[in-house]
Amino acid sequence: MTAAWPMALIGLRSRRRRAVLTGLGIALAAAMLSAAVVISYGLGTGFARATRAAGLPDVIARFNDIGEHRVAARIEALPDIARFALRLEIVDGEVGFHGRQTGTIVEVLDGPGRYDGYAVVAGRNLPRLGSEVLVEKAFADAWGIRVGSYLRLGDNFLGPLRVVGLVEGPDDVGYPLAKARIYLSRPAIDAHFGGPERFPQVDLAEIWLRNPAYVNEVLAQARATSFGIKDIQFATRAGIRILLDQAAGIVIDLLVALSLIALVTAGVLLAASARAEVQRRLGTFGVRRAVGETRGQIVRTQVVEGLLVSVPSGSLGVVAGLVATYGPASRLLELLNEPPPGWGLWWPLGLAWLGAVGFPALGAAWPAWRATGGPVVTLLRGGDVAARGRPFAGRSRGGGLVGLGVRLVGARRVRWLASVVTLGLSAAFVLLMLALASELSTLETDPGALGKKYALTASLPPPSVSPTRLRRIPGIAAIAPRYEVNAADSFELGETIDTIAFPGGGAAFEAPALVSGHRVRGPDEADVGAGLANALGLTDGSVLALALPSGRELRVRVVGIVSSLDHEGRVAYIEAGTLLRYDPGAASSASLAIVLTPSADYGAVTAALTRLGAPPSVATGATARGAPLVDVLRAILRAVAVLDGLVCLYALIQACALTVFERRRTVAVLRACGAGAGAVRRLLLGAVIALVVPAAMVGVLLERVVFGPALSRLAENYAVLNLAAGSGPVAAVVAGLCAAALVAVGWVARGASRDSVVEGLRG
Amino acid sequence: MAVLEAHDLVKTVGVGRGARRILDGAELSVEADEVVAVLGRSGSGKSTLLHILGGLDAADRGSVQIAGEELVGRAGGALARIRLRRIGFVFQQFQLIEELSGLENVLLATRLPGAPAGGAQRVRELIDVLGLGPVAGHLPRALSGGEQQRFAIARALVNDPVVVLADEPTGSLDAENGAAVLAILRGLERRAVVIVTHEPEAAAIADRVLSLADGRLT
Repeated sequence: MTAAWPMALIGLRSRRRRAVLTGLGIALAAAMLSAAVVISYGLGTGFARATRAAGLPDVIARFNDIGEHRVAARIEALPDIARFALRLEIVDGEVGFHGRQTGTIVEVLDGPGRYDGYAVVAGRNLPRLGSEVLVEKAFADAWGIRVGSYLRLGDNFLGPLRVVGLVEGPDDVGYPLAKARIYLSRPAIDAHFGGPERFPQVDLAEIWLRNPAYVNEVLAQARATSFGIKDIQFATRAGIRILLDQAAGIVIDLLVALSLIALVTAGVLLAASARAEVQRRLGTFGVRRAVGETRGQIVRTQVVEGLLVSVPSGSLGVVAGLVATYGPASRLLELLNEPPPGWGLWWPLGLAWLGAVGFPALGAAWPAWRATGGPVVTLLRGGDVAARGRPFAGRSRGGGLVGLGVRLVGARRVRWLASVVTLGLSAAFVLLMLALASELSTLETDPGALGKKYALTASLPPPSVSPTRLRRIPGIAAIAPRYEVNAADSFELGETIDTIAFPGGGAAFEAPALVSGHRVRGPDEADVGAGLANALGLTDGSVLALALPSGRELRVRVVGIVSSLDHEGRVAYIEAGTLLRYDPGAASSASLAIVLTPSADYGAVTAALTRLGAPPSVATGATARGAPLVDVLRAILRAVAVLDGLVCLYALIQACALTVFERRRTVAVLRACGAGAGAVRRLLLGAVIALVVPAAMVGVLLERVVFGPALSRLAENYAVLNLAAGSGPVAAVVAGLCAAALVAVGWVARGASRDSVVEGLRG
Repeated sequence: MAVLEAHDLVKTVGVGRGARRILDGAELSVEADEVVAVLGRSGSGKSTLLHILGGLDAADRGSVQIAGEELVGRAGGALARIRLRRIGFVFQQFQLIEELSGLENVLLATRLPGAPAGGAQRVRELIDVLGLGPVAGHLPRALSGGEQQRFAIARALVNDPVVVLADEPTGSLDAENGAAVLAILRGLERRAVVIVTHEPEAAAIADRVLSLADGRLT
C-alpha cells in the first residue's frame, strides 16, 4: 500500500480536472444519500425516540371522570403493573397569550415526575406547588412562547401561569395538527383554591408494565375488572403509533418514497461514474501491467486514488445533505410531537458516509481488478473506446457533427443507459414534485379541491332578514345553513369526529370526492371521511355511533366514504334535521354557506351581505391547521429538488466530459481538420441530445405511469390527488433539462477547445 | 510561387535542465506542385515542425505563412478556419473515426462549419479517383491499412487545401500499400506537399529532400 500513495498522488495531479468532476459527482450523490438518510431515519424512528424520551406508558386508559381512589385501586389490583399515573384531561380549555386565544387540552397531572408520558425538552418539570405550567413545544414555537412566558387559562381563573418547561408528548400529534396541550399540576391548583379537592376526579390513566410483552393479558384483565368505570377505552403504544401514522401517514409515506427515489438515483450515478473512470483508464493499466506491475498493485493504487477523491467530496456531500434537510425534517417531527434525531443520526449518516466514500473506491477497484485480468495487449488498446456495432446508425447516417455526437455516446451502451436512467429518474422526480406542489397549492387555496362548492361563508343574519332576501342578492346561486359540531365516537370516545350537516345532506354545497358508496339522501345516513373510516374500520353499511355535545347518541348508517383532508379525514356528513333533533344546541354553530354564480361580483355580494348583517368571509381550502404541514413539506421538497437538479446538471456534464475525454483523439482529428469551438459544441450537442431526449421520455413516462399513481394511491385516504404531471410541468422540466444540457455543452466545449490538438492526436 | 513559407522557427520542449531546443532557426519554403520530404532521426523534431506548419502547435519564435496568411499569433478559431480551407493532414495512424464509415469520415470534413461549398461532389470524385467506391460504406475496422490511409488522404484533400502535410504516411503500411499511397501524394496537383518521414522510399518521390538536424533544415 505504501507504494500506492505516491502513484495515486501522481495520478490525481495529472488529472486534476477529472478528479474535480468525479469529486463533484460523489459529493452530489453523497448529498442525496445523506438527505435520504436524514429524512427516512428521522421520520422512521421518530416515534421510538419520542417513546423513549417521554417514557410513554405501555397502556393509556381513557374513561369518564371518576374518583381517583377508585381507579387507583383497580389498577393496583392488575398483574404485572410497574407503576401508573393518573390525570384529568380537559379537552375544551382555552389558552391565551399576548392577546391571542385558542382551544387547548389541559392535562392536569396528579403527580408530576419522571414518568408522565412526556419529555421535557426545555426548562424543567412541574413542581408540586406553584402556578406553573408546561407547554407543548410545537405550540410554544408556533406562538413564540418561551420558558418564563406567562399564559392565561380560560378566564384567568388561576391567574397568570408561568411557563417553566416545554414538552413533547408522543401520544398525539402536535399543534396545529391537533389542539395545543398544556400541563398543570393538580397540587398547584389545589393550593390555589386553598386545599386539596376532597374527591379528586381523573379521566386518564397511564400504566407502565413490568413486561410489556404481556400487554394483551393485562388489557384482558383490565377490561374484565373495569365495571363501574364508564366509557373506558384503552390505547397501547402500538395503537398510538397507528393513530399517529394515520395522522401523519401521507407525509411520512411521501417522504420515504421520495428518499427511495433519491437513493436509486444516487446509486445509479455513483455506479456509472466509477465504471466510467476505470474504462477511461484501461490504456494506462495496460502500460503498467506491461512494465511489470501486478493486478493487486494496480487495484491498490486505484483504491487509494479513489479514496483521495471520495473522502473529501463524500464528506462534503454528506454534510451538505444533512444541512439541507435536517431543519425541515426536524420541523416536521416537531409537528408530530417527536424529537429530532440529533446525535442518533451519527451511525446511519456514518454508514452513508462509508457508502459514499467506499463505494466509489471499491467501484473503481472491482472493474479495475476485472479489467487488468485480461491480456495486456487488449488493455493497451483501451484508451480510446472501440465502437461496438453501429448504435443509432440508421438514424444518424450522414448526420454531420450532431449525428456523430449521438453515435459517440451510443457506443457506450451501458453508460448511455445508466445516464438515461439517472436523468430520467431525476426528471420524473422533479416532475412529481412540481405536480405535488401544484396539488398542495390547490388544496390550500382552492376550496373546490376539498369538495367545497361554496365560495363564501357568513354568520347568520338577524332574524328579521328572511332567507329569501339573501337568495335574491345578485350573484348568489344558492345559500344554506351549515352546521358543524365536534362529536366523538361512542365506542372510542377519544376519536373526535368533525360532524358537518346541511339541510338535505348538502351535496350541492360540500361534496368531497366519493371513494365508495353514495351521497347522504336520508335522515339516518352519513358519509364519512376515509381517515375516519380507516380509524374506526367503517365500511359502507356500517353503523356510526356519534356521541354529540348534547350528550345524546346519534346512530347513522354509513352510505359513502369520501376523501377529505379536513381534520385528517375524520369527518362525517349528515342531514341537518337529524343533527338538530339530537343536538338542538348545534343550531348555535350554524353559518351560511354561499354558492356564487360564475359571473358573481365578490365585492358587490360581500357588500350586500354586510348590509343585511351577515358579513361574509372567503371559504378556504385546507384548514389553517394543515398550512404549517404543507409549508414544511414544501421546504423538504425544495431541498431535495435542488439536489436533484444539481444531479441532472452533473450527469450531463459528466457525460459530455467523458465523451470528450474518451474521444479526445476523435475531437483532435476534427480540430486538425479545421473544426473550431462551434464544431465541438455541435458534436457535444449531439451527445447530450442522445441523453436528454430519451431521458425526458423516460422521466415523463415514469412520473405518469409509476410515481404519480403510486403517490396518489398513498394519499387516497386523505384526498384525491391528481399527480400526473400536466403539460406545464412537463414543458418546464424539458426546458430545465435543455438548459442543463446547454450549460454542460458550453462548459465542456470551452475546455475541449483549449486542449492541445497534438496531445489529443497521441490519444 | 511559394504557398508555404516558414522563417526562423524556434521551438524548445521541456523545462529547466531538461529543456531541449528541437527547432533552432528552421527555414522552409514550398511551392505549389512541389513535394518536399523532411528526413530526420527519431526525436529530431520532424513531427513538431509539421504541427507548427499546420497551426496545431505554436513556435516560440518565427513565422509561418500559408498562401500568404500568417499563422503565428492567430487565435484558435482563426487557425481552425485556415486549417479547414488551406491545409490537409495525413497521419501515420490514419486517425479515422471508428463509428463512421470511410465515406462518412470524408464527408464529415465537408460538413464542418465554414467548409467550402461543393464538398459532396468532391467526395464522390475523390472516392472514384482513389478507387475506394467498393469499400466506401465500410467501417474503418473492416478496411485494410492501405484503404484506411487512402480514405485519410481523401479526407485531407476534400476541402481542396493548398498545402498537404503528411506525418509518416507510410509508417503503418506494408511496402505495396506504402508505394500506392506515395504515388497518390506524388500525383497531387496544385498543392504543396510536405512529407515527414524516415523512410528512404518516401523521400524518393520528393522533388526536394531536406534533413532536420540540430534544429535546422538543410
